[in-house]
Amino acid sequence: MVSRRGFSRQAVSVLAVLSARPADWHHGYAIAKETGLKSGTLYPILIRLSDGGLIEARWEEEHPAGRPRRHLYQLTAKGAAAAAVALADLPRGSRVPPRVGLAILRQSRQVGP
Amino acid sequence: MAELLRRSTALLPADRRPWAEAVRAEAAEVPAGSRRLTWLAGGLLLTMRQAIVGDGLWYPLAFAAAAGGVAWAAWSGSPHDPAIVIDRVDVIAMAVILAGLSWAARRISGPVAGSRLARLARAGGYAAILALVLVKSAVERVADAPPNNLVGPAVAWTGEAVFLAVMGGYAAVILACTARRSPVVPGTAAIGTALGLTAGILAYALGPLGFPLRFAGVWPAGLYDAAMALGAALAACAPAAAGWVAARRAAPGSRVRQGAMAGLCAGTAAALAVTVLSTATIALLPYDAGLRGWAASHIGHWTSAAGQVTPIEGPRVGYVAGNSAFAAGYLIVLLLSPLAGSALAAARAWGTGRILPRMHQSPATPEEPT
Repeated sequence: MVSRRGFSRQAVSVLAVLSARPADWHHGYAIAKETGLKSGTLYPILIRLSDGGLIEARWEEEHPAGRPRRHLYQLTAKGAAAAAVALADLPRGSRVPPRVGLAILRQSRQVGP
Repeated sequence: MAELLRRSTALLPADRRPWAEAVRAEAAEVPAGSRRLTWLAGGLLLTMRQAIVGDGLWYPLAFAAAAGGVAWAAWSGSPHDPAIVIDRVDVIAMAVILAGLSWAARRISGPVAGSRLARLARAGGYAAILALVLVKSAVERVADAPPNNLVGPAVAWTGEAVFLAVMGGYAAVILACTARRSPVVPGTAAIGTALGLTAGILAYALGPLGFPLRFAGVWPAGLYDAAMALGAALAACAPAAAGWVAARRAAPGSRVRQGAMAGLCAGTAAALAVTVLSTATIALLPYDAGLRGWAASHIGHWTSAAGQVTPIEGPRVGYVAGNSAFAAGYLIVLLLSPLAGSALAAARAWGTGRILPRMHQSPATPEEPT
């Protein structure tokens, strides 16, 4: 049973991006570009989501020479359920970045009646 | 900036370092220039916040600030005044003891447990110890100043050494019960502490200056006597209740031990609460005429005690309530309360264990941490 959580608007936008492609592993900068969040805002959200078991984090296994391994994030099953609740609770007309709005729209179509 | 971020990662607890490294690794994907600089600055901000708010720097910084405040408050006065000298030694010794025990506890039992209750209990316990040092020094400035200082320096210094040792013991209990690898089941420690705090506050309410109160009318006096009897019963019941709760939550083989530790938490919390509150009230006496007037008319043993000393205006009430012989009473409370609490709770837990079936009471009963 997923309970309603007090996610901030920024956290909801991160959940929306992750749940748009729940099977994929996402990079931090990619999430930042889609949500419009800066690193100082995004990573505390990712840390809280990880501590709460809503996302998984891992280092990429293969990476091109000359650059460091990147950290990857994916929603867990618990996170997917929490994201569905949080996105459904988002007030109508909330201002979110366009890509996030598309993700919310896709999400609502998946869980719609 | 990237180098600064790399170096600042060392400030973080081990479980947070991958996040700072993740920000730094991701910076290679950010277009060079101001955007990459902003990205790295965000990482630096993240590191600073995690270092302070996490297990990193917050507690040491808060402790240093609190200890510094107590030292500043207790330091003023002539270095030739024996009471001032004792105060200064007390403050320095207590800060060293508390810091040293924190360092040792981290290596033995790990950092503070992750729950808010554990963090609150640890911070509250340390705050109470520092507050006691502060208010005790305020009382001793009056009670140990000539001509009130009826005991010699040898007795005074022995008393201080015993006090420091007892407070070291209290700090050790607080650290052990709130650590990540604590031998106490977390909920049990919280319940024991809550019951102990309640008992301590009740004891303070019934005797704010350490003496029984005196009431002129029959009804008020009778009600007070009944309240004292009830209070004494509740004070004994607090550790027993803690032991009962601990026994019900613990695995069959560890009920008595968990009960004893719950009682230890209860006794520790009760003794700290009543001692800090009462000593703070005594410390206010020289400065509050209304409180002095109330005390003069309600302290049960006031008349006989006042007859033994040379009347001194103003600080007189403070002296009677805070003299060394009286203060020894609180030291005895600090010594005996955790032990008595532990024994009562262990006995109750043993009795409860004999009644309960020899199995866990619920699937959620936590196993004792190894």
